[in-house]
Amino acid sequence: MLAKKTLARKEAPDGGAEDRRDALGVSRLSLAVGAGERAIPLLADVTVRVGRGETVGLVGESGSGKSLTARTALGMLPRGARATGSVTVSDVDVLSAGRKTLRDLRRTRASMIFQDPRASINPVRRIGDYLTEGLRARGVPARAAAERALDLLDQVGIRDPGSAVRRFPHEFSGGMLQRVVIAGALSTEPELLLADEPTTALDVTTQAEVIALLKNMQQVHGTGMLFVTHDLDLAAAICDRIYVMYAGRIVEESVSAALFTAPAHPYTRALLEASPSVHGDKVAIKAIKGRPRALAESPSGCSFRDRCPLAGDDCAASVPAHRPHGTSLVACLHPEQVTP
Amino acid sequence: MARMLAAWIGKRALGALLTVLAASILIYGSLRLVPGDPVLAVAGGRRLTPEQVEALRHSYGLDRGFAQGYLAWIGDALRLDLGTSLNYQTGVTSLITGRLGVSGLLILYSATLAIVFGSAVALVSAVKGGLVNRIATIAVAVTTATPSFVSAIGLLALFSVGLGWFPATGAGTGPADRLWHLTLPATAMAIVAFGVLARVGNAAFAEELGREHVEAARSRGASGAAVIRRHVVRNALAPMLTIVGLLFASLFVGTAVVETAFGLDGVGSLLVSSVSRRDFPVVQGIALIAVLLFVVVNTLVDLAMPFIDPRVTVGGLSR
Repeated sequence: MLAKKTLARKEAPDGGAEDRRDALGVSRLSLAVGAGERAIPLLADVTVRVGRGETVGLVGESGSGKSLTARTALGMLPRGARATGSVTVSDVDVLSAGRKTLRDLRRTRASMIFQDPRASINPVRRIGDYLTEGLRARGVPARAAAERALDLLDQVGIRDPGSAVRRFPHEFSGGMLQRVVIAGALSTEPELLLADEPTTALDVTTQAEVIALLKNMQQVHGTGMLFVTHDLDLAAAICDRIYVMYAGRIVEESVSAALFTAPAHPYTRALLEASPSVHGDKVAIKAIKGRPRALAESPSGCSFRDRCPLAGDDCAASVPAHRPHGTSLVACLHPEQVTP
Repeated sequence: MARMLAAWIGKRALGALLTVLAASILIYGSLRLVPGDPVLAVAGGRRLTPEQVEALRHSYGLDRGFAQGYLAWIGDALRLDLGTSLNYQTGVTSLITGRLGVSGLLILYSATLAIVFGSAVALVSAVKGGLVNRIATIAVAVTTATPSFVSAIGLLALFSVGLGWFPATGAGTGPADRLWHLTLPATAMAIVAFGVLARVGNAAFAEELGREHVEAARSRGASGAAVIRRHVVRNALAPMLTIVGLLFASLFVGTAVVETAFGLDGVGSLLVSSVSRRDFPVVQGIALIAVLLFVVVNTLVDLAMPFIDPRVTVGGLSR
C-alpha cells in the first residue's frame, strides 16, 4: 500500500492516463443540461485522475464546476443533464451504471463530505441513526452497525461516543459535527473520498483539526481523496497534485509544490496573486478583473481570455489543448509568459 | 429534566385555560349584545303578561348583571350544565352530547380522508414534479375553492340520486351502516381540507426534498424509498401536524353546513336550527365546545412538537 502511494506521488501529471486501479478516473467529461440548440454546457472536456491513497486538489472560483465534477463521480448529475466522456470509480463505469450499481457504489466505494455539516446531516434524527444508515443499507446487522458507529466516533475523536450517538446534530458544534460526517463517510471504508470544501463552513482553528483528522483517516484507510476547495494554500498544503478549474474546464494540472513557484496558466497566477499571504512582505492583493464565468457564457477559444492580461488574437481561435510546461500540463498558448 | 417538562406542560395547559376563559366571556357577552329579545323569541309570537316575561327572564338569568350572569353561567358550565334550551325545553348538555357521536365520527372520518389523500397527493406531486405537480396544483386549487355546500349537492346528485351508491340522508344504525351513511358527508367536508393539506404538504415536502441532507443521504446510497421516508416525510411532519391541528376546528364548523345538507342529526345541524330560532343557550354551549376542541387539539399538537422536531425546546432546554 505504502509503496503504491509513494509511486502515485512521484508520478508527474499525466493528463489522465487510463488506469483501472485508480480510485477515480474522469476522462474527457462533458456535461450539459437541456437538449439541442438550447442546451447549456456546464463542463467541457474535464479529465481528473485520483490514484489509490492519493490526495488530489480541485481548485477554482465559485461556479467553475468543481462540485459538479465531484458529484459526477457518484453519478449525481443535475436533473436533465447529459454527460459524455467517461467516469470510473475503481472499475465501475459511473455514467452507464444503473440505479442499483450506483447505490452499491455509494454504499461501498465512494463517500462524499459536504461543505456545511449542519446542512448535510438531517437535523431531526440522532447522530447514531446518521452513522448507521449507510451500514444498515449495506446489510450490516443493527447491533454490529451500532457498535461500529461507537468505534467510528471514537476514531474521529468524539468524546463519550455512547452518549453522542443518542444526541441530535444541533447539540454539537460545527467542527464536532464535521467529525461525525467524516466518521460517516469512512464507515463504509470507501476507496474514494470526495471532500467538497469540507472546512469552508468552519472557523480557522477547527479547520486545521478537521484537515489533520481527514489526512490521518485517509492514510490509515488508504483512501484516495478528491479535495475540492477554493483555497489554493490549503490545497497546496495537503494535496499531491492539483487541478485548477475555470469555467467548466481544467486549465492547469500540476504537482502541488510546483504550482506556487511556477504557475503555468495566467489564471493560476492570478489566483495566487489574489490570495493574501501570511508570510513574507506585505504585497497588495490583486483582484482578478472581471467576474468568474460559467462555461455557457464564456468567450470562444480560451475561456479566460476576456480577463487575461496576456491574451492575444490567437487565444480566440480555439480552446487551447493541454500541453506540458515545466511540471504542469496547461491549457494555454503562452505559458512561458507566465513562468519562463 | 422531568421537572422542566412538567413545568412546561403546566405552562401550556395554563395558557390553554386562559384562552378558553377569554373565549367563554366573549361567547357569553356576544349573545347578550345581540339585538332582539330572546324571551320574545321563545314566546313564539304569543302575547305574554309582564309577569310571565319576568319569570322567563329570571329562569334564563337575563335579569342579572353581566358579571353575575357570566359567573352563574360558567359555574353551571363547569358542572356540565349548559342551561335549558329555549326551543326544546330540555337540558343543553344532553342535547349536545346526544349528537356528538354522529358529529365526532363525521369529523374524524373526514379528517382521515383529508389527511390520507392530501398527504399522498402532496408527496407524489412534490417527488414527481413536472406535469404531475401541475395537474395536482390545478386539482388542489379547484377543491380548495369549492365550498362544502356545493360539493355536498354535487356528491348527492352523482352518488346518491344518480348512481344510488350511498344514501342521501340519515346517519344509519350500527357501525358499518353508519360509516356507509357518513361517507358522502365526510367526503364533502374533506374536499376543502384536502386542498389545504395537499397545498401545505406539497410545499413542505418540496422544501425538504431540496435540502442538502437529502442529497447527502442519496450520496450515501440510501434507497429512494428510505430517503423519502426517513428524511423527507419525517422532516415535513411538524408543519403537517400544525395544519392538521388547525383543520379540526374548521371541520367542526363545517359540520353545520354538511349535516344540514345531508339531514344528519348532529351538533352542526343543531347549531343551524338553534341560531335561526335564537335558542341562545344551545348556541353558547356549542360555541364553548368548539373553542374547547380547538384549544385542546392545538395544545396537544404543541406538546407533541418537541418529540417531532428535537430543535424545538422544552422550557429553554432541548430534549
